[in-house]
Amino acid sequence: MPRSEALSGARGRALAASIAHARREGDRSGLARMLIAALAVLAAATFATSIMTGAADASLGNVVRWLAGETAADQALSMRDRIIILDIRLPRAVLGMLVGAALAVSGVVMQGLFRNPLADPGLVGVSSGASLGAVLLIVLGSTAFGPVFAIFGFYALPLGAFCGGLITTMLLYRIATRSGQTSVATMLLAGIALGALASAVTGVLVFIADDKQLRDLTFWGLGSLAGANWTKILAAGPIILLSLGVVPFLARGLNAITLGEAAAFHMGVPVQRLKNIAIFSVAAATGASVAVSGGIGFVGIVVPHLLRLVIGPDHRYLLPASALLGGTMLIFADMLARTIVSPAELPIGIITAFVGAPFFLWVLLRRRSNMGL
Amino acid sequence: MIRASELSVSLAGRPVLHGVSFEAAPGRMTAIVGPNGSGKTTTLKAISGELHLTKGKVTINGRDIARLKPWELALKRGVLPQSTVISFPFTVREIVGLGLSTSGAEVAGNDRTVDDALEAVDLAGFSGRFYQELSGGEQQRVQLARVLCQIAAPVSDGEPRYLLLDEPVSSLDIRHQLTIMQLARQFCEQGGGVIAVMHDLNLTAMFSDQMVMMKAGRIRACGAPKDVLTDETMEAVFGCRMQVGIAPARDVPFVLPQTASL
Repeated sequence: MPRSEALSGARGRALAASIAHARREGDRSGLARMLIAALAVLAAATFATSIMTGAADASLGNVVRWLAGETAADQALSMRDRIIILDIRLPRAVLGMLVGAALAVSGVVMQGLFRNPLADPGLVGVSSGASLGAVLLIVLGSTAFGPVFAIFGFYALPLGAFCGGLITTMLLYRIATRSGQTSVATMLLAGIALGALASAVTGVLVFIADDKQLRDLTFWGLGSLAGANWTKILAAGPIILLSLGVVPFLARGLNAITLGEAAAFHMGVPVQRLKNIAIFSVAAATGASVAVSGGIGFVGIVVPHLLRLVIGPDHRYLLPASALLGGTMLIFADMLARTIVSPAELPIGIITAFVGAPFFLWVLLRRRSNMGL
Repeated sequence: MIRASELSVSLAGRPVLHGVSFEAAPGRMTAIVGPNGSGKTTTLKAISGELHLTKGKVTINGRDIARLKPWELALKRGVLPQSTVISFPFTVREIVGLGLSTSGAEVAGNDRTVDDALEAVDLAGFSGRFYQELSGGEQQRVQLARVLCQIAAPVSDGEPRYLLLDEPVSSLDIRHQLTIMQLARQFCEQGGGVIAVMHDLNLTAMFSDQMVMMKAGRIRACGAPKDVLTDETMEAVFGCRMQVGIAPARDVPFVLPQTASL
């Protein structure tokens, strides 16, 4: 090799090294912050768009002016527009944001806890357990569980779903985890078994349900935001927001626990407490979501996985980014659901399954080639 | 000083350790050796605080570890496990940085510390690589760099700190075996303490101050390598009839498998 070329090669390497040092190779925190900001903008834009789109033509501009008190006589907001936007589309978008964020964040927390990117509340039976809890309350609400409704009012359903989700998550963790290591196969299979068991019990309850209860129940199977109203938001919102508020404090612990429970303990993490809080918040967020929107699958697996490809698995950034993208994606899916076959509506669960199931298979195949699952 | 007194441990109902007692002083490197299944790793786990003891206790600088919170322990000792499987796509810098963020020592000089730790384990320039793409030996060194971030200074607030290493050089090439053993040695010379589970008796004899030789959950010999590594203990503990030699230049014992009478 000519001397000059060798020199320039060395200089090039030195330059590359200094550039690498300047942007600290392997550090994706700057990128993650930028992405979170972009996702926040995207979420706001999607939220606004969803309020403006729908079968009926109701302009957002009019609403904003009406809210600002600038209603001139010629621009008076029609009663119909007000109802469509404030009582139908707005609660629907708010619920979509809440449920999407809850599902995506539950996915992240479960995946961190199980050290496994395929864990998802819907997939491993937690949603089925939560459904069972809610269905139990609907069917036996007038008899055995009557007092529950009397005491908790409209919080009874989210509470029932929460208990169902909690029991399933704890069972799953106990079954799939041996001496601090969680087996992928055991977790997925145990999840299928628990989900099937919960569905079987739900089936029995549907069998003994009366006609009015049946109408209420059909809705659980499909998963939809169609029933969104302010009462549901009042019932599920506080629970979801509370669990979303707790989860950021778990970020460092979840980072550590990806190295294994023993390693996390060595690094100073109170592992048992972390697990308890994580399981509790997953059950609460999933339970509340299931109670108001039924079983919407795959959000918890698609969103975190996509984000990990870009910003990596650091939970300090992954959690907020997942909340934003989860909410955005669910609102977007809901817009599709109510415009594709307009003026009729598809259940949103169908759309998330059409996107999510192939995605899950793709992840599975990729992992199989990478690490022999 | 780490003091293990009368440690007894049962795993899945089967007694694994029977009254193990020894001391590891700061400034000294203690190596635990013995045949497979003799309880070396279990002893290290008991000392780290992750196992429930059926009997006995462990103190670190005079304090019972059972009474210390996880984060208090994390400031006194770092633990290197045998191997770590991670199923998420972390970069090397992110893994090593975990050692900083969990000990609560996150400060402005972070990147410097991570780079220094990587340099110490001879992985400078690896910070942008993905952990899962590295070889077993490289992964082991990344984990050691993480532990070095957690326990950066061998002495802090006048208290010695400790490294508990479970087979730190088992999957390394000979050059990196020497690098890592020297690193541990240096940590001791600066006032910290090291307890390492070792398989390579010759490296152990060369670098350690104290050898703890175990068999079937009990300590069979404990002391300087010269006193522990003898023809008699080789036969009694490992069941190998072989001759222990002495390297004249260093006055360090060695064993060659070629001397075994099979």
